[in-house]
Order: sequence, then C-alpha cells, then structure tokens
Amino acid sequence: MKALALAFTLARRELRGGIKGFRIVLACLALGVAAIAGIGSLSRAIEDGLARDARKLLGGDVAFALVHRPASAAELAWLAERGTVSTVADLRAMAYVDGNGAAPAEPGKDRLLVEMKGVDARYPLFGEVEAEGKVFDARALADALAAQGGKFGAFVDPLLLTRFGVKRGALLKIGSIQIEIRGTLEREPDRATRLFTLGPRVLVSEQALAATGLVQPGSLIYYQHRLRTAAAISPAAAIAAAKTAFPAAGWRIRGTAEAAPGLETFLTRLTLYLTLVGLTALLVGGLGIASGVKAWLDGRTGTIATLKCLGAPAALIFRVYLIEVLVLAGIAIVVGLAAGTGLPLLLAGPLEALLPVKLEISVYPLPLLLAAGFGLLTVLAFSLWALGAAREVPPALLFRSTVAPVEARPRRYYLVATVLSATALAALAILTATDRFMAGLFVAAVIGTFALFQGGAAVITRLAKAASKSGTRRAILRFALANLHRPGSPVARIVLALGLGATVLVTIALLEGNLDRQLREQLPERAPSFFFIDILPNQVAAFDAAVKAVPGAAGLERTPMLRGRIARINGVPVGRAAVAENVRWALDNERGLTFAATPPSGSEVVAGQWWPADYSGPPLISFDANLAEGMGLKVGDTLTFNILGREVTATIANLRKIHWRSLGINFTVIFAPGALEGAPHSHIAAVHVPPRAETALLTAVTDKLPNVSAIRVRDALDQAAGVFEQVGFAVRATAMVTLAAGLLVLAGAVAAGHRRRVYDAVVFKVLGATRRRVMGAFLIEYGLIGLATAIFAAILGAILAWAIVTQVMNAPFALLPQTAAGTALIAAAIALAFGFFGIWRAMGQKAAPLLRNE
Amino acid sequence: MIRLSGVQLTLDSLAGPVHILRGIDLDVADGETVAVVGPSGSGKSTMMMVIAGLERPSAGKVEVAGADLGALDEDGLALFRRDRVGIVFQNFHLVPTMTALENVAIPLEFAGRADAFAAAKKGLEAVGLGHRLDHYPAQLSGGEQQRVALARATAAAPRLILADEPTGNLDGDTGAQVMDLLFQLREKLGTTLILITHDRNLAGRCGRIVRLADGHIVGDERAAGAANILAAAAQ
Repeated sequence: MKALALAFTLARRELRGGIKGFRIVLACLALGVAAIAGIGSLSRAIEDGLARDARKLLGGDVAFALVHRPASAAELAWLAERGTVSTVADLRAMAYVDGNGAAPAEPGKDRLLVEMKGVDARYPLFGEVEAEGKVFDARALADALAAQGGKFGAFVDPLLLTRFGVKRGALLKIGSIQIEIRGTLEREPDRATRLFTLGPRVLVSEQALAATGLVQPGSLIYYQHRLRTAAAISPAAAIAAAKTAFPAAGWRIRGTAEAAPGLETFLTRLTLYLTLVGLTALLVGGLGIASGVKAWLDGRTGTIATLKCLGAPAALIFRVYLIEVLVLAGIAIVVGLAAGTGLPLLLAGPLEALLPVKLEISVYPLPLLLAAGFGLLTVLAFSLWALGAAREVPPALLFRSTVAPVEARPRRYYLVATVLSATALAALAILTATDRFMAGLFVAAVIGTFALFQGGAAVITRLAKAASKSGTRRAILRFALANLHRPGSPVARIVLALGLGATVLVTIALLEGNLDRQLREQLPERAPSFFFIDILPNQVAAFDAAVKAVPGAAGLERTPMLRGRIARINGVPVGRAAVAENVRWALDNERGLTFAATPPSGSEVVAGQWWPADYSGPPLISFDANLAEGMGLKVGDTLTFNILGREVTATIANLRKIHWRSLGINFTVIFAPGALEGAPHSHIAAVHVPPRAETALLTAVTDKLPNVSAIRVRDALDQAAGVFEQVGFAVRATAMVTLAAGLLVLAGAVAAGHRRRVYDAVVFKVLGATRRRVMGAFLIEYGLIGLATAIFAAILGAILAWAIVTQVMNAPFALLPQTAAGTALIAAAIALAFGFFGIWRAMGQKAAPLLRNE
Repeated sequence: MIRLSGVQLTLDSLAGPVHILRGIDLDVADGETVAVVGPSGSGKSTMMMVIAGLERPSAGKVEVAGADLGALDEDGLALFRRDRVGIVFQNFHLVPTMTALENVAIPLEFAGRADAFAAAKKGLEAVGLGHRLDHYPAQLSGGEQQRVALARATAAAPRLILADEPTGNLDGDTGAQVMDLLFQLREKLGTTLILITHDRNLAGRCGRIVRLADGHIVGDERAAGAANILAAAAQ
C-alpha cells in the first residue's frame, strides 16, 4: 500500500512535466473512443426513441396483421371486448390525375403507383397525423378525409403533387372513384421508415377505399387491426388470450416490443458494422499509442536511470509510469466519451428526417462504459510492452556522456500481460457484439491484417537493404533506401497504421462499387421492366392481350399468387420449432405462394422429383432448398400453411435452388395443382420491354385494367441505390475516422523522427547538399513507403471485399481495379504530404545552433 | 569498505569482445578518500559502476560495505544503493519535474522515512540552498544543481559516496566551491569517498590516488606519494 502511495506521489510529480510528446497518444485514443461511444450512444438514442414511440409506431398496444382478408366478425368482436380497435388497410394502387387537374405533359405521366392506406374513424389510436402544417387526431382526421360534395378526401405525400404537377384540391382517380387531394401529408405516427417506398403515400378513409372497388378477393391488401387495451387488460394477456381463442387465425400478433422490427434489425446490424469500423480506428490508434508511449518513455530514460540509481526498485518504476499512462489515458477516454455523447445531438437533425422517431437524446452509460473498456484495453495492449521495457533501463547509463534511449527487452511477464490485454480486447469485441460470428471474423481479419502488414513492412525493409547493397550511385536514392532499413526506422509503424486505414477504405470502396454495379448496371440488364400486381383471375386474358399488343414487349411471365404463413413444421407450431437464425425471417411474415404444373425458370430442382403436369392428389409443395436446410427439412416432410385463416398441410415433393438475382418471379413455395386454385388469389406478372416502350406498356395495361398496379423496376432499384447511398455515407464517415487515426499515427512517426531529420538535414547542408537534393531524398523515402503501403492495402482490401461479396452477400465479385488503386493511391499521397510537411519543418532549421550543441 | 578481487569486465561488440577491466584488485578502508585518475577509456567510470552495483563484472568478486554484490539481484542492488551509496554525476541527473526539495527527498522516500522532507530540507540548508527548496532544476544554475545533487547523495548519510567528475560541467570557481562542500560533508559524515577526476589539485585533496590505464591499476599511492602519481599522470 505504501509502495503504491509512493508510486502515485512520484507519478504526480512526473506529470508536472506536461503532456508534451503524449499528445498523439491522447488524440489517437480520444478519437477511437469517441467513434465507438458516439456510435453506441446514437444507436441507443434511436432505440430509446423507438421504444418511447413504440405504441405510436405500432398503432396500438397490440397489432394483429393479416393479408388478403380483414379479421372476421367474430375476431373483431372478440378484440372489441378487450379495448378500442382501429383497422388500417394498406395496398398498392395506380393513381391517375383526373378532373380539373392539369393535363399530363407526356403520355404515361398521368398515372403513378401509390402506397394507399385506408383508415377507420378511430385511426390513429396513439399519436397524431401531421398534414398541411396542422395536427390531426382521429376525429379531426376522419372529418378531413370524409366525403364532401360526393367526393372523398385524401392527404398525399408532397412527392405526388410534384410528380403530377398539381396542387391541393386536384382530383385523383383511384380504382373507380375520384378522390380530392385535401392536403399534403407530413408525418404518420405509425410509419416505421421512409427509407424505401415504391410510391408516394395516399391516405384515405376506409369508406373511400371500399368505394374504389380495389378490394377484391385475392387482392394484395395488408390489414392491421390495432388494439388499445382496456385499462384492466394487459397487452401481454391480450396476446396470450388471442392465441388461445383463435389459434388458426393466421394473423401476426405484435406487441410494442416489436413496433418496428425491420428497422430495429437494420439498426442493430448497422450499429455492429459501424462499431467494428470504430474499433478498427481505435486499433490503428493503438499503434500510435504504442509508439507514442515508447517515445514518451524514451524521453524519460534519464529520469528512470536516476531513480534506479537512487535505489528505486524496477517494480516501482513500472508502477509509476503505468499510473502516468493510465491517468493520461483516462483523460483522453473522458474526452472521447464526451465527444461520443455529443454525436447524437449533432446528428439528430439529419437522422430525424429519415427515421420515424425523434432521437431520445440522453447520456447512455452502457455504450460509454463499453467504449471506455475498449479504450482502456487498447491502451494496456499497446503500452505494456514499452512500460515493461522502461523498467529494464540500466542505471549505468548515467555514467555515459549522453543518455540515449536503449532497446531493453521486457521480461516474459509483460509479454504475457500484453497478450492477455489483447485477448481481453478481442473477447470484449466478440462478447458484446450482437452478431458474435461476425465480430469473430472481424477479430480474425484484424489479426491477419496486422500480421500481413508487419510482414509487408519486413519485405520493404529487406528490399531496401538489398537495393542499397546493389550499389546505386545516386546519393539521393541511396540515402532514401538507407532510411528505410536503418535501425529504428518507422517503416513498420507507418505501413501498418496507414495500411490498416487504407485497407478499410479500399474494402468499403470496392463493396460500394460492387453494390452499385449490381444495382445500376447488372440487375437492370436482366431485370424485367415492370412487375404488375393484383391482376384478378378474370382479367388474365385481357392482361395478356394488352401486353402482347405493345410492340417490343417480350418475356411475359405471369403466375398466380396468394400469401400465407407457415404455421407448422412437421406438425410442430413454428413458435416451438428449432430453426436456424438465418431462416427465421421466413417464419415471421407471410410468404408468397403460387401453384404450377411445370417447374418455373430461375430455379432448379436439387432434391426429389417435380410432379406430373396433370397431378391431382394430396397437397404437394416444392420448397426452397436453403430454407429447407435452415429448418432441417427434407423431401417427404410436411409444412402446414395458414392461408386466409384455413390451414393446409402439404408434403415436400422436391427442393429447389432458387436464383433470386435473376429478378424473375420466384417463389419459395410452389404448390402442386389442386390445392390452391379455389382460394381467392390474384396474378403477378413480369414483363420485359425496351426502355422506349415502357410508357406504352404502362398505359396499355392500366388503361384497360385500372385496378392493376404497375411497379417500375428501375424506380425500385433507384430507391434501393438511394438507401445504400445513405447507409454507405455512415460507413464511409466512420471509415474516415480510421484513416484519421492512421494519419495521427503517421504524424507521430514523423514527429518522432524529427530530431534525426533535422540533424541529417543540417549535416547535409554543411556538406554542401542543396535543399532540392535533401528534399528529393526524403520524398523518395516517403514515396516508397506510401506506394508499398498502397499496393498492400489494395491487395488486402480486394481480398476482404471479395470475401464479403462472394461469401456473405453471395454475389459475383468485380475487382474494379481503378477504385482499388485510386483509393490506395490517395492514402499514399497523404503519406507523402505528411512526410513532406515534416521535412519542410526540418529544412527550416539553421545549422549553426545545432552544431554548437553537438 | 570496498574489496575488488580480480574484477574483469568484458563486453561483446560487433568487432569482437572488448576488455574494459582486466583484473582489478582494490581494497579501500572505511572513511578513506580515493581519487581515481587515468586517461579516457581507461575504465574509471566502469570500475565505479561495478562498485555501485550498476554493472556486473564478467569475473571476480565485489564486496562493498559488507555486501557481496554478486549475491544480490537487481532489486537487491537498488536497495543496497538506496541504503549505503550516494552518487554524484558530472551531469547532475536531477529529475527535471521535481523541485530541489523533492529531488533530495527521493532516496529517503524510497527508504520509507517519515521525515524525508525535513531531512531533505536540512540537507539543502547544509549546501546553502535553504532558500531554493521549491525551485525546479531548470530554475537553478549549474553549481546550484550540483549542490542539490550533493545534498541528495548525502541525505541518507550513506557509507560510501561515489563522485564521477563532479566538477566536469562547472566553471573553475563554482567547481571549487562544490568540491569544498563535498569534502566538508564527507568529513562530517565520515563517509568513504571515491572520486573520479581529471583535476590534479582535486585529486591531491584525497588521501589516496589510484591510477588506471587500459583496464589495469597502474598506480596506487597514499597521501605522501599522491603527488608522484599525479606527476606521472601529467606526463
């Protein structure tokens, strides 16, 4: 205890010397901690915002979702006994400008796919609708949308007005009625995300929706019955009772814990990726910490030797400097945490425009604690070695004329402690990750990358040595090469730090490039031009005829469709069935079902046999081979589907490998003829036409069949590309933090070498070298380091991107050499610029004062 | 007090082994003052490091103040210095972030003495720096810094003082004042003193002069003969 008190006293005295030489360490640490704390806090601020608004987002305490059909009278009566029920129906429909609206400038511009929502008079149960700069509760909304002068009203997305070039008061034709635009819709309390939509929103009353005539058996309509439970009934009890009362209803029941499940999953994933990128920044900063702590301790060699001469045991020396490092690191961590806490505040504006909720700005201890833990372990992992070496400083140094740093080798104990800290860091990263497999891969990739760059640095040093020995006559080149392989050369540090940052950037650039290529170039080539949905069985002939009449229309693919949920796997209810996590999604929602006599294109049977075209017998299905594997199913097993409230059990006749990326019409489940023909269903169709005929196709089909909705694939892909762009921005911004950490390390290396550079520059000047010559040598040195780093980063980044694209995304990989090389070379140019800055400072030194001191 | 028996020190270098000490035998009695002289590279400082337990000999035995240094580990040697040896360097080697008082108090603090600061204050007063207690090394002149170093080396009343060219970085007058102080303090404490110096007058103040050349002791004379050794060294 006494020894510890003495260590604290000495550390306190030592710290009076200030933080000079420790600034880079502090900056590296603060930056990494800020990135992790910021991402964690932001994620929590969104999550808490979602939790706070969960009832608004869900639309009630409990929501019952059905597809194709609303709840039956019995079901609705049961719900009404337990509280207030509000019903909302969502569907896609074609809207046409009509009546006194301006005539379209171009053919086909008078119609648009819209996301229509019909609400009853109790909507919204929670929160308010914002439209026309005003706030509407249920009663006000019902009044605003009610029929006036024989016309129903609608609130619409402002985008719709822009697309049609109309104003408030214009008439839309949807289905068989005219609807008056009563205002622009600004916010729906229950809209989970605005990131991806196929068309602008049109909000109408349920009476208006019924009047359109679009509600037909088999139409793709999503119904939600939201329940605001009566005071005496808990939502959990209502959910449990509903399951017991209507086990075969086939509805998806969600409580407030699952208010926005898709968004939450997306955020969880994004948070994980961003945290890992932030951790990379911290690790890159760790290199700066390692070299910074070493340089800082080197500057204290004299003091350490003096203390040892005066009788300080080595353990005391270690304790004193460990305390100092931890105190300074603590300050940096606190600064980082403060900056991280501020991030949600900074990003609240732009994020709230994209997300359905306002961020819950607060101080979140858990992410801060995690970031501090990462920071502390990074400091330990990267400084224990140097601290262990410091305790070995021989006091005999003091008898020499100059006290120069020595390369003492720490004891084995410190190597073990370093490895333990690094292991704890990896364990923390993996154990706190939402996806441990992914985090484990990350740790493995980091270890591999460290090893590769360390090896790369050794190769550079060796090559430089070999090149020096080969006896180049050019003094500049010789000097530059010598700098690369002299003892204590910063090559390894710079290559590793800059290389890690550059690798992350190259990887991300290649991932984005590949995604972009998929979305903008490859998919559109093969993808159909339009999907048409809600073609009723009695419209099939008319539809086919309309399509065929359009010149250039080809590749018409049409198939019946209805939706149903998987209720049981081999008789076991899905809630109790053991399935792999990666196929759980298929059980959470309704699946599209179809029936066919012959095998579809875009997939191949990999197990079992396709049924005869004239099959008639007990229900058989063809199932997706991937899902079957995840659910542990094989040919001969059974799946029970809930279709429109009826349960249908079918035997798996065969498994198919589905080529989803063909963007044709593919179904995970195909029934053999006989089981589903009688159920209400509609048809879905994909049509290829040349771009110039797209409008003609759209008008030909929708003029004839106004209830049929057309989805332009190009628009959907553009939407998806837009989403990726926004996500990509977040990833890029975090990756830039990694590069910034790399630059800090580089700055540290340049600063550490500054004294030597000044000395070299002065000696060169004395010997008659011109500035240009000296600059040339230094530029070659940093140019070579930068170039080599760029090459390593480009190769490694390409390998990582290839692994992610082909193994995780299951997509073909394109190398995009320009993207890889360009990104890596930018990193090299930055190295050159930094090196140049250091040399420029060195060149400014006057020779005389330095020579007098030597 | 000091007994070196057949002490050799050989270091490995890229050019092959370098023999720094080639068999030193030396006995120094309690309270003796010994000047060590000799040309640069003769092994003076190395011998002093061996005596301080800062360097381990390749061969031979070193006993200082009753301790067999070969039997002590690194921390044992640190404690040995703390309790029995005071060292004065040519370059002072004060800790720059500590005040004069704190610098002097360090060895006493290491020894766990409760009166560390009171004793350090007395020590500084004894070297005439009672008014400079809270000054940092950078705020002191060279002579003052060396006086702080003297106070530090003698604060714990060591049985042995090792001084390595203590006036090497000081001008003549200041150096003389510092040396007067050193001899006064030694006298007061009755401490054994080993002094490395190039200054003949200074060496002449010691009771014994040992001359080293090429790792050997080539001369060892007591008071009366000290002048002859110095004359030989001058040649």
